[in-house]
Amino acid sequence: MRKIIVSVAAIAAVATLSFSGTAALAAKCPIKIGGLAPLSAPGAVGGGEAMRDAMLFAERDINAAGGVLGCDVKVVIADTEGLPEKASAIMEKLITQDGVVAVGGAYHSSVGVASKDVANNRKIPVVFAETWNDTITGDKQKYIFRIAPLSSWASATLWKAALLVPNIKKVAILTENTDYGIPAAEETTRGLKSGGVEAVTFGVDIGTQDYSGIVERIKAGKPDYIIVLATGEAGYNFAQQAADAGIGPQDIPFQAGQVALESKAWWENVPDGNMAFVQRIGTPVNLWNKKALKLNEDYKAKTGKGAIESYALEAYDSISILAQAINEAESTDGAKIVEALENISHEGTLGRIYFPYGTKKDPSADGKGDEWWHQWPDPAMTMIQYQKEGQNSTESPIVWPDAYKTGPAIYVKK
Amino acid sequence: MEFPNIFWGVIGWMIFWAVVGSVITRRLYLHKDLDTSNAAFVGSMLGAAMGPIGLAALWLKTPELTNRLLVWPAVGAVTLIAAAFAFADPSNNCVANGSFVASQISNGIILGIIYGFMALGLTLIFSILGIVSFAHGEFYMIGGMVAYFVTTVWFPGIYPIVGILAACLVTFALGAAFERMFLTPMYDGKIERPVEYGILVTFGLAFTLQYFIQATVGANPVKARRFFDFPRLRLPTAEDPWLIKTSRGNMELFDTISISNPRFVAAVACVLVLLALLYFLHRTWTGKALRAVSLDREAAAIAGINPDRMNMLAFALGGMIAALAGSLLVQAFSWLPQVGAIPAMRSFVIVVLGGLGSLPGAFLGGIIVGLVEATGTGCVPDAQKAASYIPAYGMIVLTLTLLLRPTGLFGRRFSGGAHGKF
Amino acid sequence: MSRQHTPQLAGLVLIAFFAVFPFVYSANDYPYIMHLLITGFFYAILASSWSMLAGYAGQFSFGHMGFTGIGAYTTALFCHYIYLSPEATNLCTEYAIGDQFLIFVNPIGVTSSTLSQDCLRQALSAWDGSVQVTAMPVWLGIILGTVMGGVFGLLIGLLVLPLRAAYLALFTLGFSEILRAAISAEIAITRGQAGIELPYLFDQGITLFGRHFDKTDKLPPYFVMFFLLLTCLGILAWLAKSKFGLFVRALREDQDAAAALGVNTTRYKVLVFVITSMMAAAAGAVMAHYVRIITPNNLMILQMSLVVAMAVIGGVENFVAAAIGAIIIEFTLELLRNSFEVGDIVIDMTIWRLVIFGVLLMITLRFSRNGIISPIINHFLRGHVAKETVAKRGAAAESAGGSS
Repeated sequence: MRKIIVSVAAIAAVATLSFSGTAALAAKCPIKIGGLAPLSAPGAVGGGEAMRDAMLFAERDINAAGGVLGCDVKVVIADTEGLPEKASAIMEKLITQDGVVAVGGAYHSSVGVASKDVANNRKIPVVFAETWNDTITGDKQKYIFRIAPLSSWASATLWKAALLVPNIKKVAILTENTDYGIPAAEETTRGLKSGGVEAVTFGVDIGTQDYSGIVERIKAGKPDYIIVLATGEAGYNFAQQAADAGIGPQDIPFQAGQVALESKAWWENVPDGNMAFVQRIGTPVNLWNKKALKLNEDYKAKTGKGAIESYALEAYDSISILAQAINEAESTDGAKIVEALENISHEGTLGRIYFPYGTKKDPSADGKGDEWWHQWPDPAMTMIQYQKEGQNSTESPIVWPDAYKTGPAIYVKK
Repeated sequence: MEFPNIFWGVIGWMIFWAVVGSVITRRLYLHKDLDTSNAAFVGSMLGAAMGPIGLAALWLKTPELTNRLLVWPAVGAVTLIAAAFAFADPSNNCVANGSFVASQISNGIILGIIYGFMALGLTLIFSILGIVSFAHGEFYMIGGMVAYFVTTVWFPGIYPIVGILAACLVTFALGAAFERMFLTPMYDGKIERPVEYGILVTFGLAFTLQYFIQATVGANPVKARRFFDFPRLRLPTAEDPWLIKTSRGNMELFDTISISNPRFVAAVACVLVLLALLYFLHRTWTGKALRAVSLDREAAAIAGINPDRMNMLAFALGGMIAALAGSLLVQAFSWLPQVGAIPAMRSFVIVVLGGLGSLPGAFLGGIIVGLVEATGTGCVPDAQKAASYIPAYGMIVLTLTLLLRPTGLFGRRFSGGAHGKF
Repeated sequence: MSRQHTPQLAGLVLIAFFAVFPFVYSANDYPYIMHLLITGFFYAILASSWSMLAGYAGQFSFGHMGFTGIGAYTTALFCHYIYLSPEATNLCTEYAIGDQFLIFVNPIGVTSSTLSQDCLRQALSAWDGSVQVTAMPVWLGIILGTVMGGVFGLLIGLLVLPLRAAYLALFTLGFSEILRAAISAEIAITRGQAGIELPYLFDQGITLFGRHFDKTDKLPPYFVMFFLLLTCLGILAWLAKSKFGLFVRALREDQDAAAALGVNTTRYKVLVFVITSMMAAAAGAVMAHYVRIITPNNLMILQMSLVVAMAVIGGVENFVAAAIGAIIIEFTLELLRNSFEVGDIVIDMTIWRLVIFGVLLMITLRFSRNGIISPIINHFLRGHVAKETVAKRGAAAESAGGSS
C-alpha cells in the first residue's frame, strides 16, 4: 500500500511540476537571449560545450559592462543535440517558453537550416555562429544573420592552399558522410580539378574508430596530399592511424580536421601529428584585440584547454553583437533589432563585424549571390601549420594566405 | 567496377541456386529420414559453389553430411565470389595490388584477434549465465577510460601494465557488484523470465554507465600514449631490410605489410591473456568448476560447486575481458563515452557466428569478422561508401549465419541454468 | 461504484482531458507544451506497442526505432521524389498515366548552395508558374510507410523469430545500426545527416470544428497523433483480450507447451511482431510529417533506450501503463534539462538526467518488475486482493494482462 501512495504522490508531483512551470510569462528584466549549442550526443558535444562556455562569458562581460537597456542579460542555453528535428522544437521552446528576444550560437548546419524558419516566422532575430551551409543566409530571411564563414569560402581555402603544395597531382580527401563533409568534399574536388589536380574522396561514418582499412586504401593510391574533413574524434583517430601506417603529417603534406586546433587534445590524441596543416577561422592570433586576448585567458583558466577555439569566439560574438544591437535599437522588438544589426559595427573578438547586405541593399546590387545576405563578409580564414611538437595552435605560424602569413610552410617529403 | 554485369550476374546465379539448394536439400533429407540439421547449409553452399551440377550429385547420393562436406562447398562459394569480383573489376587494388591485399589481410587478422578476444568475454558470460550482456561495450569503454586515467592523468609515467591491471580490477569489481545486486534474483526463480530480465537489466546498465562516464569525464576525446616503443630493427641487414624494418610506432614486414605498434601490442597481449585464460579454465579447480557449470548446472552443484558463485565469477570475468581489450586499445584509438557501441555490436556478430557460448568459436569468429570487414573496406569499388558501411559488413555475416546455420560454427546445446528456458 | 471500475473511469477522464486540453490551455508556451504532448503521444505508441511485444509476447526487439525510421523514410522519399504533373518536364524520368505524368525527381544530394536544382525545379522555373504540379498525398505516404514497416517486420520475424529470444535482441540492434549507417551513407538520396524535409501533415491547412487551422498550427497534428495512439491502444486491447492474445501469452509462458497444444508458435510470434512493427512505422511516419525533417540519428540506440525505459518504468506487462509512462517521462526529461548549482559545482542536468533515468530503469526492473504505474492500475482493478498483489511482486506479473 505504501508503495502505491508513494507512486501516486510521485506522479502527482511530476504532473504539478509539468503544469506549474508553464504559466510563467516572460518578465521584462532580465532580458533573455537564447544560445543554441549541441550538448548531448549525437551532436558534437565538445564543440557545444566550448560554445556554451563562451556564451556564458559573453553574458558575464555584457552584464559587467552595464547590461542592456538597464537590465541584466540572461543567456538561456538550449541543447540542440545536433538534431535538425530537435532544432525547430528547441527554437520554439526558447521563444515561447523562455521568452528570449534574440538567439545566438548554433554549431551544426542542419540545425541552423531547420530552426531558422521558426525564428523568422516568429520575428526573432538570430545570429548564427558556426553554421556554414550557404542556404542559411541564401534564403534571404529578414531575421537571419550569420557571422560564420560560408561553406563555399571555407572550401576555397582548402583547395587554394592545397594547390600550393609542390608537385601536387593526386589528393586524397577523407570526409565524414555528413552535410558538412560531403558538400565540402565536392567543392574542394571541383576546386582542385580547376587546378588540374585529381582528388579521390573517402567517406566514413561518424563514430568509426578503426580506419586501418581505409588508411591502407589511401596509401595504395599514393596521394601527394591528404585533406581531412571530419569533425569530432574522427579527425584525431584518422590522423594518428595514418601516421602509424606511414602516411601521417610527418610523411606527406597533411591537412588535419578542424579539431586539430584544440592543441592539447591534438597532441594527446595524435602524438605523431607534427607538421599537420589546419584550417583556422577567425583573426590570426597576432592580430587579436584586447577583448579576444582577455577572453582567451578566462577561457583557458576555466576549461584547462590550450587556447580558445574559433567557434567559441564566434559564439561569444554572436551573443555580444545581439546585446549591442538591442542597446542601439533601444527596444527588444525583433524588427528594430534587425534594423540595428543591419547598421551595426561591432568590435568583436573576431574583428569588426558588420552586415553590408540586407533589406536596404540586396546582394545582387553588387553582383553577389544570395548567400551574402546578412552575412559578415570578413571572417578571416587562414591555414596554420604545427611545426614543433607540442606547439599551441595559437602560436603556430600562419602559412596561407599571404595577407596574414607569419612563416613559410614546410612541405615534408615522402 | 568495370564489368558490374559479370559480378552481379554471378551473384544472382549463386543466390538462386543457394536458395533452391537449401530448400530442396532439406526436404530431401527430411523425406529420407536423415539428419537435417546441416542439410540447408550444405545444400545452399553447394548450390552456390557448383550450381545445378553439385546439387544433382548431392540429391542423388544424399551422403552423410560430414565436416568435409560442410567446409569445402563454403570455401568454393567464397572462391567463386572472389573470382567473379576479380574478373569484374580487374584494376581494383584487391585484385591487382598484391602488397595491398597482404596488408589488408594482416590488418584484418590482427584486429580480428582483438575483436575475438573481446567477444570471448561475452560468450563466457553466456555459457555460464545464459544471458547476453548488453553492457559489454560499456565495460570495454570503462576499461579504456581507467587505463587512460591511471597512465596519463593520475600517475603519468607509470608502467602501462599498472593501468591495464587497474582497468581489470575496477571492471571485475564492477561486474561482480552488478551481478550480486541485479542478477541474483534470476537464479532462485523469483523472476519468471530470467533471460528477458537479463537482457533488460544489462541494457539499463549500459545506458547508465555510458551517461555516467559522459557526465563525469566529459565528451572530449582522450587517448593514452603508446605503451611501448618498438626497438629499432633492420633485418636481415641495415642496407636491405626486406625482412623486417621497425620504427617506434610501426613495423614493416617483407617491405609490404605495415603493422602499427599499438595494434600489434594489443594483439600480442590478447593472445597471451587468452593462453592464460585457457590455462585457468583447464588446469585450475575454479576454471574447471566454471566449465562444469556451463555444461551441466545441476550436476556441478551435486559435485559440490556453488553455481551462484560461478555466476558472479563469470560475469565479472566476462566484463573484465572486454575491459582488458579496451585498456589495450586506448593507446590505438581516441576514447569517448560512446566508443563501446560499435565493438559491442561486433562482439554480438562474432558470438553468433562462432556459436553462442563457444570459446574457440568466438576466437575464430573474430578473425573471420576482422577479415570480412577488411575485405569490405578495402575492396568495395566506391571509395566514398566503402568505409561508411563497416558495421554493415558484420551484419551481412550475422544475417547469413542466422539464415544458414543459426547454431554458428561451433554451436552446442546447453543444459541447466537459464539456457533451457529460451 | 466499485473500485474495479476506477481504472476505466480514470482512463475516460484522461482521454477527455487530452481531448479538451488544447482548447482550454492558452498560456504563452502553448506551442511548446503541445509539441511535448505530441512527442509524448509518439513515444506512447512506441512504448505501448513495445510492451505488447516484450511483455505479452516475450520478444525483445531493439529495432522499434528502426521501424519508425522505415515508416518515416518511406513517406519522406515518396513525398520528396514523386510528383504528378499535367505536362511532361522532358528533364525527369516520367511516365504518362492517363492525362497526367508521374514524375520521378532526380536526387541531387546535399549541396551547400541554393544554386543546384533538381529536374523538377528546373522545369518549374522554365514553366514560370504556368503549370501546377501535384505533390503526392501525405496520407498515402503514411500508409506506404506503415506497410513497409510491416514488410520489414515480416522479413525479420521470419528470419529471427524461430530462434531463441536473445537472437531477436541481437539482430534488431544490428538492424537499426545498419539502417542508420545506410541512410547516412546514401547521402545522395536520403540527404543523410542533413535531414530530408517532408511536407506538412495538412499542407493546405484544415478546417475542424468550424475553425480553420493553418498548416503550422499544432492542433491538427496533435489530434492525428492522439487518435493514432487511441487506435493503437484499441488494437492492442483487442489483441490482448482475443483468443489470439491468449495464444500469445501461452507462447510467452511456455513455448514448448504451447507448441504441444497445437499453437503454431512461430506464426503467432511473427504476427505480433508484424503488427507492432507497423504501429511503430505508422507513428514514425506521422511524426516525420509533423516535425518535417528527419535524420538517421533518430535510429540511434539512445532513442531506443528511451522507449525501453519508458515501457519498463510504466510497466512492461501493461501497455496502457507503458503509454502513460511514456508521456510522463517525456515531460520529466524535458523539464529536467535545466542545470542547477550546488555551491560551486554546476550540475549539468542535460547528461545527469539520463544517468538518473538509467538508474531508475535498473531499480524498477530489480524491485518492481511491473513498473511503477502498472501496479496502481492493478491495485484498483483487483480490489480486495490488492494487498496480496502488492505483497507478491512476482505474482503480480501474471495478472497484468487483464488490466486493459
